[in-house]
Amino acid sequence: MTERRFEGIGATPTLGVGAAVWYRPTDVTDLDEPPATDAVDSAAERERFEAAQADARAELEAERESTRDRVGDDEAEVFTAHLKFLEDPQIEAGIEEALDEGLPAPHAVKQAFAGPIEQFEGMDGMMAERADDLRDIRDRLLRLLTGTERTHLGSLPEGSVVLAELLTPSDTAQLDPEAITGIATMEGGRTAHAAIIARSLGIPAVVGIGEDLDGIDENTELVVDGEAGVVVADPDEETRQRAAESTQTPVIQEPVETADGQAVEVAANLGTPAEAPPAVDQGADGVGLFRTEFLFQDRSAAPDEAEQFEAYREVCATFADGAADGDDTGGPRVVVRTLDVGGDKPIDYLDLDPAENGFLGARGIRLSLDEHADLFESQLRALLRVAATDAGAGLAVMFPLVSTVEELEAALEQVERVADDLDNEGVEYAIPELGVMVETPASTYLAEAFAERVDFLSIGTNDLTQYIQSAQRDLDRMTDYQDPLAPAVLRAIDRTVTAGHAGGAWVGMCGEMAGDPDLTELLVGLGLDELSMSAVTIPDVKTRIREVDTESAEELAASVLEADTLATVQERL
Amino acid sequence: MERTLTVVPDDGLHARPAATFVETAGGFDADITVAAVDGNRPAVSADSMLGVTGLGVRGGDDVRLVAEGPDAEAALDALEVILSTPEDELDEMELP
Repeated sequence: MTERRFEGIGATPTLGVGAAVWYRPTDVTDLDEPPATDAVDSAAERERFEAAQADARAELEAERESTRDRVGDDEAEVFTAHLKFLEDPQIEAGIEEALDEGLPAPHAVKQAFAGPIEQFEGMDGMMAERADDLRDIRDRLLRLLTGTERTHLGSLPEGSVVLAELLTPSDTAQLDPEAITGIATMEGGRTAHAAIIARSLGIPAVVGIGEDLDGIDENTELVVDGEAGVVVADPDEETRQRAAESTQTPVIQEPVETADGQAVEVAANLGTPAEAPPAVDQGADGVGLFRTEFLFQDRSAAPDEAEQFEAYREVCATFADGAADGDDTGGPRVVVRTLDVGGDKPIDYLDLDPAENGFLGARGIRLSLDEHADLFESQLRALLRVAATDAGAGLAVMFPLVSTVEELEAALEQVERVADDLDNEGVEYAIPELGVMVETPASTYLAEAFAERVDFLSIGTNDLTQYIQSAQRDLDRMTDYQDPLAPAVLRAIDRTVTAGHAGGAWVGMCGEMAGDPDLTELLVGLGLDELSMSAVTIPDVKTRIREVDTESAEELAASVLEADTLATVQERL
Repeated sequence: MERTLTVVPDDGLHARPAATFVETAGGFDADITVAAVDGNRPAVSADSMLGVTGLGVRGGDDVRLVAEGPDAEAALDALEVILSTPEDELDEMELP
């Protein structure tokens, strides 16, 4: 099928894709012939009108309130105007007169509005749009008077493009921007209230297309381009592709700074080397967390040094070739975390026990310094060798679950020993940047002592939340405790950043929290130097960082840190 | 009591400024009318949304307000504030 294009007036500078849903409200102005005037009980009709007017007032006040909450104060004022029209003395007088003539209430309303609507229609521009307001109010009254069911726009399936002859302000105020990906109407202009509200809700809209729009069937695939003012039905592959690209947040392929010029590194969390190229495509400055467990899982014996060397080198090479270089270590930074296993991540040949190696048992660095020192050694050998390659210039190594300075010193001694061995063997090596993953309450208290001994700290918010809140992360019943915005967790993060900087280390974050664009301002305000996340959220977070003003972000962080309850934290955000 | 003023909001007496104007006028006991100085339409009651928007007054136009009643002066003062405030500053104001 070839695509069809419908030209109109673009009302919102955005683009959406979805399936056509026709909105055809019942025509409430289509009234039966009025009965003979002497058959009408005027007093009863007057009461009927007054009841409808009171209901209309209540509806308008409710819609004004919900528009204020969902859209904004300015947009809600259209309902104030409608309330004023509803109670306009001139219109009320017209209705009174028609009721006196012996017309039933609906006919009286229709007759009283006819003159003013015609008067406004005859005027130009913005005045003509007041006629739309009057029709909207008249139809609201008629709907209430005739007991007509309201055609609801609020519960459409996700990905709906609403097609209509005209959308009134009250129709538009019901729209759910999460579900509706576009609006296209036959009538209306750029300054109509409906266009203004669509703009505020960020719904792509094209108005004033004319009667041709009627040629689009229900469920037709549509692209609504609010910038060009075009609706494309049954788009071909090329149009579809272009649309898909422009509906995503643009990728930013260079390091970003806040609006006031403070650099924040945005890195990717990776579970396998195969995830590296897509992360580069999303604009990752580097890798903030490369989990090495994939190399050890689902096999019968541990990988040897050569296999590990290849895997680590591959990720570094992918980034050295493609990524934006956000740091000053000579190549994009790639933080590799040494083996982090426990009873919840079974590995056959390691003989881990769910209780013995559970969340409060021997896991992470505790295993690497004890019964699995051999694996730790081969991992460090591979890493120090990669650090000496061209691609490995930005390599960094991070130790998981450190909770004492003794552990850290033991791990650092192991690095020294491995370096000595490689030196004696005449193998090329380099000592990479070294860091601690902060994920235990103990490590937040020792952050300064750690920072004095390593180059960086990276906060793992998933485990940190579990341990600070003493609520196991894989228990459904504990979900309420798992919010990293809990005041205790936020204060632990704040303490870690401050202590880390005091000890001379840079401080990053690699938990889920780092990838939530709604928290970017808070995290910048808390002073984090690097945020590492799933690659898909990188464009959104980079976009947000550019909008952040450091000073107001710091004020936000300070006010959030003062909050004693999760609810207050959420309120202040 | 009457007062002639130049309308500041770009959109003139429309939509939002008109709603605020009508609402404010309705809050006083005084009978208030408004007319466009250059227009040929008769003066309309200031508490009629239909009448006020129907004047077709735009930003920069002059209007004449006439108020009769015990609080006429206060009413004219309040309406003058609305007509001389740019639309984007209207929300920050505490209206009488």
